[in-house]
Amino acid sequence: MRVVIADDSPLLREGVAKVLTGAGFDVVAQAVDGDDLLLKVRSYKPDVAIVDIRMPPTHTDEGARAAEQIRAEHPDIGVLILSQVIEATYALRLFSERPQGFGYLLKDRVLDLDGFVGAVRRVANGGTAVDPEVVAQLLGRRRPNDPVSELTERELAVLSLMAEGRSNQGIGHALFLSPKTVETHVHRIFRKLDLDLAPDDHRRVLAVLAYLNRG
Amino acid sequence: MKSSARLWAVAVAGAALGVLGYRSMTRDLESPWWQAVPSVAVAWTFLVAGVIAHWRRPASRLGTLMQLVAFALLLRKFEYSGSSALFTLGFAFGAVFVAAFGHAVLAYPSGHLHDRLERTVAVVAYAFALVVPIAILLVYDPRLSCLFDCSSPTRVRPESLLLVHGDENLVSILRDVVAVGLYGVLGAVFVVLIVRRLLEATPRARRMRGPLLLAGAAAGLRAISESVFSVVSRSTFEGLLLFSIEEIVQAAVPIVLLVGLLRERLARAGVADLLRELEETPPDEVAAAIGRVLGDPSLEVAFWMPARRAYADGAGRDFPLPEDDRARAVTKLEHDGAPIAALVHDPSLLEEPKLIEAVGAAARLALENARLHAELQAQLVKVRESRTRLVTAGDEERRRIERDLHDGAQQRLVALALELRLAQRELGGATNPAVERVLTTAVDTLQLAVNELRELAHGVHPAILTQAGIAAALEDLARRTPLAVTIAEAPADRLPADIEATAYFLVCEALANAVKHANASEVTISVVREAGMLVISVVDDGRGGANSDGQGLRGLADRIEARGGRLWVESPPGAGTRVVGEVPCAS
Repeated sequence: MRVVIADDSPLLREGVAKVLTGAGFDVVAQAVDGDDLLLKVRSYKPDVAIVDIRMPPTHTDEGARAAEQIRAEHPDIGVLILSQVIEATYALRLFSERPQGFGYLLKDRVLDLDGFVGAVRRVANGGTAVDPEVVAQLLGRRRPNDPVSELTERELAVLSLMAEGRSNQGIGHALFLSPKTVETHVHRIFRKLDLDLAPDDHRRVLAVLAYLNRG
Repeated sequence: MKSSARLWAVAVAGAALGVLGYRSMTRDLESPWWQAVPSVAVAWTFLVAGVIAHWRRPASRLGTLMQLVAFALLLRKFEYSGSSALFTLGFAFGAVFVAAFGHAVLAYPSGHLHDRLERTVAVVAYAFALVVPIAILLVYDPRLSCLFDCSSPTRVRPESLLLVHGDENLVSILRDVVAVGLYGVLGAVFVVLIVRRLLEATPRARRMRGPLLLAGAAAGLRAISESVFSVVSRSTFEGLLLFSIEEIVQAAVPIVLLVGLLRERLARAGVADLLRELEETPPDEVAAAIGRVLGDPSLEVAFWMPARRAYADGAGRDFPLPEDDRARAVTKLEHDGAPIAALVHDPSLLEEPKLIEAVGAAARLALENARLHAELQAQLVKVRESRTRLVTAGDEERRRIERDLHDGAQQRLVALALELRLAQRELGGATNPAVERVLTTAVDTLQLAVNELRELAHGVHPAILTQAGIAAALEDLARRTPLAVTIAEAPADRLPADIEATAYFLVCEALANAVKHANASEVTISVVREAGMLVISVVDDGRGGANSDGQGLRGLADRIEARGGRLWVESPPGAGTRVVGEVPCAS
C-alpha cells in the first residue's frame, strides 16, 4: 500500500514513516505543507494520505483544507487527518459528507503502533477511523432519560468501537469476542437505542455518531 | 469733555444748517413743506446717528463719516438757495454726500474699507464729487444756462462766485458727466461691491450686515436710475415716486447703521446673563452658550491641553486650530499668561473685539472647568485605548502560547515517544523484559505529559476556537461541562478573532460559576448578533446571589468593557443567574 505523509515536523514524519514501512507500507513521499501535499498526491496517486491538520503558513486548518481538496479530486484516495486536539463537533462536520476512506485521529494515537497501522489500513481500504476521543466526548454529554444509560458495559464498549468505524470483525478482535457474539451485541444495542440496522459499516458509523450527537 | 463739546457744536451747526436748508427749499425752490421736511429730516437722522455713534464708539470712524454725510446732505439744500454764496457753497460740496454715503455703508462696522479695490473706488468717488461740481461752477452763468427749476418765472437765479467764463455747452456736458459718471457708473460699481460683500460674507456677517447692505444696494440702484432719467424724461409722478423711495432708503441707512453699532452694546449686556447661565451649563454645552451670546452658532471651543501642548475638543480629541482666513477666525483666551482655550468663530466677530473680550472674561471659569473636563476625557480615551490594547495583546499572547505548546513541545514529545516506541519494538519485547518495561513506562509518561499539555493549552486558548469558530467552541465547552447545557443560538459563521475570544471566555467564566458556586443543573447559552452588537447570554437555574464584584465576574466585565461593550449580571437569591454581555460587532 502506498502512503504520502504530510507534517511540518520532520521528526514526526520520519517516525510515522518508520512505523508504516515496518508494517509493510510503501511511503512514496513526504510533504511539509498543504500545497506540497496536493502536488505529491497528484503525482504519486497513493492509496492513503496522512495529513497533519496544522501546517505552515497559518498553523490553523491547512491540513483540513488540503484533505477536502484531495477527497474532491481523488475520491478513491483515503485521507487520515492527525491533530493535536480532537473536537467532536468539528469531527462530525468533517465526517458528515462522506465517511468512506476518511479518518480523524489524535496525533498521539501513533504511539499505539498496531492500532494506528490498523486505522491507516482501514482508511486506505475505504473504511472509517473516528478517534475514540470523539466518541468519548459524545458519550460524555448528559441527557435526562438517556437510553444509552441502559446499555451494559460490554454493549457500551461495542458501541464505542462501532462509532470509531470498526467492523464486527475488528470489534471482536479488540474485545476478544467471536464475530457472532459481537453481532448479537450490535442487534441488542440497536434495539435499545431504537435505531434501524444499517446495511454497511459506513452508514453504521454515521447512524451511531448522529444518534450520540442528537440534540 | 472736549469730545462732547465738539459733538454739541456739530449738533448745533447741523440744526442751523437744517433750518437754512429748509428755508432754501421752501422759499427759493418753492418746494411744498411735505417735501422739504423729510428731506431735512433724513439729513438730521444721519446727524443724530453720527453723533450718537461717535459718542458711543469714539474709536470707530463711522460716526465721523455719518456726520460728513449729514453735512453734505444739508449743504446740498443750498443748491436751491437764491443767495449766490449759499448756492456756490452748496453746489460745490453737496455731491460729496454721494461718496460719503457709499463710504459709510461699505466701512461699517469697523470704519475701514476692506481692500484696495474699495479704497480706490472711494477715492475716485470723492474726487469726482468734488471736482466736477466745482468745474461746473467755473463755467456756469445763470444768464446762459439753467440748473434747477427752469420753468419757474419768478425764480431768483443765484450766480456762481467761482465763475471764470460762462459756457452753456460745457455746463450741459459736465452735468451729463455727473449724471452718468457719479450716479450711473459709480452707482453700479457700488452695487457690485455690495453684491461681492454679500457673496463673500460668512453666515454671521451676512446676518449682521445684510439689512445695511441691502439698503445700500437700493440707494445705489436709485442713483443709477437718476443717471437713466438724465437721458429719458420722467413724469411728475415718477419724479415724486423716486423722491419718496430716495428719502425712505436714505433715512433707513443711518438708523440701520446706528442699530448695528449699538447692537454690540446690547450683546455686551447679554454677557451678564451668560455669566449666570454658565454656572448651570454642563461642560459640553459651554460652546453653544457662548455662541448664542455672540450670535454665532458656528462657534467652537478648543481647550488647551498643557500635557500635550496642543488644543483638543470637549471630548479630548485633537483639535488643530484653523488658520485665520475669510471662513474662520481664532481668538485665544488666556489667564495670567497661560492659555485656557481658543474660540474658533466667524471672522465677523473680530470686528467686535470688546464683545469677545467681555465674553471671554465672563466665561473664563466655565471654560477652565470645561478644559479640565476635556483633559479628563482625553485621559479616559487614552486609558480606554490602552485597556483595549492590553486585552488584545493578552488574547494574542494566549493564542501564541497555545500554538507554541501544540506545535512545539507537544509535537516534540509525541515524536520522542514514537522514537521510544519504535526502539521498544526493536529492543524490548519478550527477549528483554527489563528494556520493555522501562520503555513502556517512558512512553506512558510521555503520553500523560502530552495529555496534560493539551489540557493546559486548551485552557489557555482552545484550538477549536481558531480552527472552527465560536459555535463549535461553545459546543465543545458544553460537552466538557458536567451540566445540561443547551446552546439556543450561536453564529455559524466566523467573527473577528478578538470578538470570538471575548464571547468564548464570557461563557467559560459563567459556566464555571454555574458549576462551582450556583449548584445549577441546567444552563442555556445564546450568542446573537443584534444591531451591530454581539449579545452573549448565559442563564442558569442555580441558587443565584452571585457577586458581580467577585474576581471572576469583575475580570469578565473588564474584558468586555475593554472591547467597548457592557456586562450585566442578574442574580437574585434563589432565582438563578443571568449573565449578559454585549460587544460591538459589525455584521
